[in-house]
Parts: sequence; structure tokens; C-alpha cells
Amino acid sequence: MGEVLRTEGVCRYFGGLKAVENVSMTVNSGQIFGIIGPNGAGKTTFFNVCSGIYKPTKGRVYLCGRDISNMRPETISRLGITRTFQSMQLFKFMTVLENVKIGCHKGTKSGIFDAIFHTGRYKRDEEYVTRKSLETIEKAGLTKYAYTMAGSLPYGIQRRVEIARALATDPEILLLDEPAAGMNPMETVDLRKFVQELNRNGQTILLIEHDMKFVMNCCHNILVLNFGKKICEGTPEVVKKDPEVQAAYFGSGMIGGEVLNHA
Amino acid sequence: MNTLINAVKKVYGEHKVLFLAVIVVLLLILPFLGFKKSTIRIMCRILMYCTLAGSLNMINGYSGQTCIGQAGFFCIGAYTMAILSTRFGISFWILLPLGGIMAMLVGLIVSIPTLRLKGIYLSIITMGASEVIRIVALNWESLTGGSFGIKDIPRPSAGGFLVDSPMKFYYLFLILAVIFLFISSRVIRSRAGRAWMSIREDELAAKALSVQTSYYKASNFMYGAFWAGICGAAYAPYLQYIDSTVFSLDEGFNILSMVIIGGQGTLAGPIVGSALVNFLTEILRPVGTWRFVTYALLIIIMMWLRPQGLVGASDSILAGGRIKMKSKSKKAAKESA
Amino acid sequence: MEYILNQLINGVCQGAIYALMAIGYSVVVGVTGMVTFTHGEVMMIGAFASFYIFQYAGSHIVLGLLGAFAASWILGMLVYKICYEHFFNAPRHISLICTVGFSMLVQNLAQICFGANKKPVLNIIENRVFKIGPVRISMIQVAIVVIVLALAVLLTVYFNRTRAGMALRAVSQDKSAAYLVGISVKKTAMIGNCIGCGIGGVAGMLMAIYYQTCYATMGSTMSMKAFSSSVLGGMTDVRFSALGGLCIGVIENLGITFSSASFRDAFAFCFLILVLIIRPHGFSVKKGARP
Repeated sequence: MGEVLRTEGVCRYFGGLKAVENVSMTVNSGQIFGIIGPNGAGKTTFFNVCSGIYKPTKGRVYLCGRDISNMRPETISRLGITRTFQSMQLFKFMTVLENVKIGCHKGTKSGIFDAIFHTGRYKRDEEYVTRKSLETIEKAGLTKYAYTMAGSLPYGIQRRVEIARALATDPEILLLDEPAAGMNPMETVDLRKFVQELNRNGQTILLIEHDMKFVMNCCHNILVLNFGKKICEGTPEVVKKDPEVQAAYFGSGMIGGEVLNHA
Repeated sequence: MNTLINAVKKVYGEHKVLFLAVIVVLLLILPFLGFKKSTIRIMCRILMYCTLAGSLNMINGYSGQTCIGQAGFFCIGAYTMAILSTRFGISFWILLPLGGIMAMLVGLIVSIPTLRLKGIYLSIITMGASEVIRIVALNWESLTGGSFGIKDIPRPSAGGFLVDSPMKFYYLFLILAVIFLFISSRVIRSRAGRAWMSIREDELAAKALSVQTSYYKASNFMYGAFWAGICGAAYAPYLQYIDSTVFSLDEGFNILSMVIIGGQGTLAGPIVGSALVNFLTEILRPVGTWRFVTYALLIIIMMWLRPQGLVGASDSILAGGRIKMKSKSKKAAKESA
Repeated sequence: MEYILNQLINGVCQGAIYALMAIGYSVVVGVTGMVTFTHGEVMMIGAFASFYIFQYAGSHIVLGLLGAFAASWILGMLVYKICYEHFFNAPRHISLICTVGFSMLVQNLAQICFGANKKPVLNIIENRVFKIGPVRISMIQVAIVVIVLALAVLLTVYFNRTRAGMALRAVSQDKSAAYLVGISVKKTAMIGNCIGCGIGGVAGMLMAIYYQTCYATMGSTMSMKAFSSSVLGGMTDVRFSALGGLCIGVIENLGITFSSASFRDAFAFCFLILVLIIRPHGFSVKKGARP
């Protein structure tokens, strides 16, 4: 159980706004790690810092012990963090297969000259890309949509395509930004099963989610943010009982535990 | 119009090999059908612009960067050929790739400041670069002959066989166009081509999937510039005389209009566009400036009715963001994959 | 030294015209949210309108100014109807190419209507030269700077003090938010576009007076200047665009003191590239905004 992703006192300010302040956490290999918090708590900003879209104002981010704080998103992705987006960023006008094939970019090396002369490397790469993307599509249960334009699929399926595309990069850690947003309850349950199955196959996952049932049922460890600060970290049971978390979600003085259990 | 185009596409899809064979044979015997010399000259232009518009299409259509100054790269290629062949008598066959490489280097220089910038900055910089190249060509008299241009650019020859008539140039341009299409069709089906298209569709997502967008944007730009340079290098000996007025911004817009009218992001688009625009140029030659008015109207009408161009697919990001709720049939998808 | 000082004065004067062009351009880009390639043609039409007014109604600068403004306003409406209105929700490049087509259209129609040769615009302003020490300033230069400053003040007041101006600023910042608070976005965008074009037309007139000539293809060089200035200023920021225009004017005129005048355009452009390498978004800074 080595550590995969570790942050040390990460801060991100926008002018006077402290969107993320002094957040430290460690995600260990094989975990599903959840980040929760009320709207505007800085969850997505924190994600953006981890994946390199924003640079941290202060603090450090380590991937497998390597400092990635000031690297660019594409380099970080190459090193093993692949993310999905809250507002899906699918290649809408490409088929699902083409989407996933671009995900295979990381595992291949052939350049323009290989393509022109159809060298051995090109052939190996293309063979690998085709096999890998079909495999990934099958793993995500999208085989029947493989040749469909991604933008014309139902919402829940699109989310799944985005996850499949991220999986094709063979990431050390998969970052999911509100994967269940906008899904109906059925789709959410399917998604949860899918995420848990991925995890059983050894995939480390870090996710942001609003759906409490989803988070409480599938995460091993949870980090709670409020106003950019970490207010609690621990197993679902610990988090549920934490008075500060209850205060953040329901205001102080209310009995939140019951509601949390039902939610 | 849509149904007609779709019908043509369908028939083409079903008999692809037969179609290509017929077209190649037709193109090969075309000059022998007893056309006038002026008609063959038009065919030469069409074939040359196939490659030139195609090179711009590689940039605009495949990686979604809006380049307007393709005439600049064209200019670099042509002047490389003209200067080195008249001064030092270097062989055409060495200068042809060299013209491409020179244009490619300029393409690299132009793309560097725009790597951190989005779309429109690139357009303006390419446009400005094209103008600067033209201004330098006009004013650097000791090298380029200034407004007098360069005369008597030698015709290419291969082992005693001199390429001197329009008919022989026809075959030269045909070979170039075929090589360009062959190589480009291989490139866009490769890893690099997919990376370019991912940048066109969504740059942020491409970054998150570890596509080094700067590298691929620059390489895409260089690829397009390379072919424009080759075109210039092949076109200079055909004209035998070049000066800076050939490479004005209007020429850039002319190339752009071919790509737009034909259809960006498709290999066939620039070919159709080049044929149509050059055909119109000839028909409208008697009416002088009205010709450009017609182009301009055509571009505007095209943007209103078919922003994806004549052969462009209606379900593409270039068609104006409307997603058609239909799925490709498996067969068609396999062929395009 | 005297020469350089005089060139500096020329640069400031020319920079003032560029600043006006860039202001017009930034207003258009800011309000419509789309990049235009028609601005050069709009300015050319402004120059021609004033040329015909000077020819038939005598050298009244105010009349010419109003005529240029009105003619470009009308052209601006056409541009809006043809190139923007239908493409607010479409990808950017479609309206961009539409403006390219429209600028080709106007330029060539102008060549047909006005003729391809250059038209002289002479003696609109009495050609007196003031001497202050070693520096020579002509009446034309003074008039140009005064007109530009007056227009800039007028615009500032309009944008900051009037209801319509505030609505314009709201639309240029966030279209959907402006829509939600009850601003008619399409109408406001059109008026903004027309104002930008009108200012461009006046700049075109000043350009014609300064160079004492106007011709149908003058738009392409001018639009390059307007682009460069407004890119320097960060595209949509009016004040920084004006600063950018001033910089380009000065740099150009200082540049040609060291080399030949035919490299004028190259200087402006190289300066632009240098700035863009160092500061990708020009001079403008938005502190604390989320990227």
C-alpha cells in the first residue's frame, strides 16, 4: 500500500480569494478516495491544482514521491494522473472508439515519419491502440456504442465514455470530477458498481462527488473541504460522526447524522 | 443539395477502389484528349492548388488553428527555388524539398509566439507574417530583385528530359498532388493525426490525455507550411517569373476560400474547392474585379448555408456545433477509422 | 537629434490615429465577442465618405467627420446583420471567415465604384507649421490629436455615465448575464458594433487627411495596424488598445528613422510579436480573475 498522490499544504489563491488553503492529504495505492464539501468549497480548484491546470500558490504535490507541483497538465498526465471534467470535455463529434483511441496517445510513441513510411513501430502502435481501445471499451461496457458519435449519446453514457477514455491512458491514479452529476439514480448505481469494479482490479481513484450515498458506500477514505480548508479526513464512519462536517453541511445545532444516513 | 451530396458519398463509399482507379486513369490521359494549351494551363493550376489548399487544410481543418497567411509559406518556397536556381544553378530536385524545409522553418518561427495563445492571435500573426514576408521580398532588392522580381527561372529536367510544356508540368503537379494526398491520408490516420484532431475538438481534454498540445500544434503548422513551400518551389519554374505581387494577402484569401468552399477537415474538400474556384476564375476572367466579388459572395453564402463546405460532413465540429442524433453505420465507421 | 524628435512627434500623431482605430476595433470585438476582419474596409468607407463630402460640400472637417461616422455606422449595421447575428452560437471561425468574405466583397465593390486609382485629399486643414524650438508641428497634426482626444473623452463619458453605455459594457462582459437583467443583447451588440465601426470610419478619415490620399485598398494595411494595436492591448480592453496604438505609431516612426520607410509595416509587426512572446495577452492585466 504505497502512497500514490500526496499533497503538502497546497494553497491556491485567486487575488484575495483563498479558494484552497493549506490542504494536505495522502492517497494510497488501491484506494477510492473521496473529496466532499459544500458548493464553492474549492474541490474542483483542488483537482485542478493536482492535475496541473492551476499552479499551486503555495505547497507541493507529489505523485509517487515525485514533485509535480509546477509541471504542465500534459506532463502530469504522462506521469500518471488522468482526470475527467465536471463539465464533460468529450470529443463530441468523434465516435466513442476515436475518443478512446486518443486516450491511448500516452502508451504510444510513433511520429509523423513512422506514419508516412508505415514502419514497424507504426504498425506495432496501431495494433496496440486498436486492441487497447477495444479492450477498454469492452471493460466500460460500451461495446455497442463503439461507432456512435459521442455527442449523441445519453448523458450517463457520455460520462462513462469520458471515464473509459481516461482509463485508456493506464493512469496511476484516476481523478473523477463529479462523475454522477446529472445522472438518474439507476445510472448512479451502475456507475458506482463500475467504479468499484475498477478499484477491485487495482485502480486507485480520487473522486469529487455530491451524492452522499455514492461517496459513503464506495469510498475508503474521505476528505471534507469547506471554504478551501480541510475540516476532516478519515473513513466514512469517522466523517459522518464529525461535528464540524455536520455543521458545514447543515449548520450548527441541527442533527445531521440521521439525514446523512438516509441521503 | 444535402441529399445529392450524401448520395454521391454513398456511391463513392461502396465502390471506392473502382472510383479511384477511374479517376487516376482519367487524370493520366486527360492531357491527350486534345485540349487547348490554355485549358491545360488551367488544369495545372487546379492540380497545384489541390496541394496548396490541401496544405492549408492540414492546418485549418485538422488542428483547428485558423491560419490565413498561407501565401507567406508559398512565397518562401517560390523564392527559395528562384534565388538558388538562378544564382547557383542548383538542381530542381534538390531545391524542391529544400523549399519545403525553408517554409517549414519559417512555419516553426511563426508558430512559436502563438503556442501559448488561442485561435485568433494565430490568425493575426499568420496574416502579419505573410505580409512581412511579402514586404521583405519586395524591398530586399539585392536578394529578391525587389519589384522587378526574378526572371528566367530554369525549367526542371530529369536525365535529359526537360519539363518545359504545360503538359509536362501537368504531370509534375499531378505527381505532387498524389504524393501529398497519399502521405497526408497516412498521417491523419496515425497517432499524430489523432492528436491534431483532438486539439481541434477540445484542447483542454487533449492536454488531460497527455497530448503535448504545443508540440503537436507546432508540428501541424510545420507540416502545412512544408507542403505550401513545396508548392511554391514547383510553381516558380512553371511561371518562370515571380515577384512579390503573386504572394499578396489576396492570394492567401484565395487559398482560404478554396479550403472553405470545398470543405475543411476532409481530404477531398480542397480538391473540389480548387477545381471550383479555378474554374470560376476562368469563367469570370472577362468581368475583372467582379470575379472577386463573386468569390466573396460565395464565401459568405457558404458560411450561411454549409459552413462545413461542399464535401464536409454535417456532423462535425466544423459544421457549426449542431449535433445530429444519428449513429454512423458500422461499415462506414470502419472505413473512416 | 532634431530629426528623431520630429519623428517622435510624427509617431505620436500617427499613433493617435492608430489608437482611434484600435479603440473602434476593441469596442467591436468586446461587444460582439467575435473577431472581425472587416475593420479595414469600414475605415476605408469612412475615408471615402469624407472624401466625397469634402469634394462636394467643401472642406468642413466637422461635416466630413459626421459623414464618415454615419457611412461606417451603416456599413457596421450590414456587417452585423451578415456576419454576426446568425453566428453567436456557432464556432468562432465561421463568423471570422464570414468577415473575411465580407471584407473582400466591400473592398472589390469599392474598387468598382470608386475606381482603383488614388484620390487626393488636399488642404482640408490649412497647412501651417508651428516651430517650437527645434520641433516642427503642423496644423494637421494638432487637429488630428485634438479630434482623437475629444472622441476618446466623449466615449469615456458615454461608456461610464450613460445607461446605454453601461448596457454595452455589460454585454461585452457577459452576454447571458446581461440578457438576464433585461438588456436586449442583440440590439445592444448591434449598436456597439456600429459605434465601433463609426469610430473606425473617423479614424479612416483622419488617415486620409494625414496621408492626403485615399484609395480602395487602403483598408488592408490599416486593418493590420488596428489588429496589432488592439492585440497589444489585449483585444477587448479599450484603454490598453489605445495605448497599444500609440506605441505602434511611435515604434514605426522611430524604426524608419534607422532604415528605409518601406519596412514600416514590418517594424510594427515585429514589435507585436516580441510583446506577445513576453506577455501573451498584451498589456492588459486582470488581477485576481480566475483563468
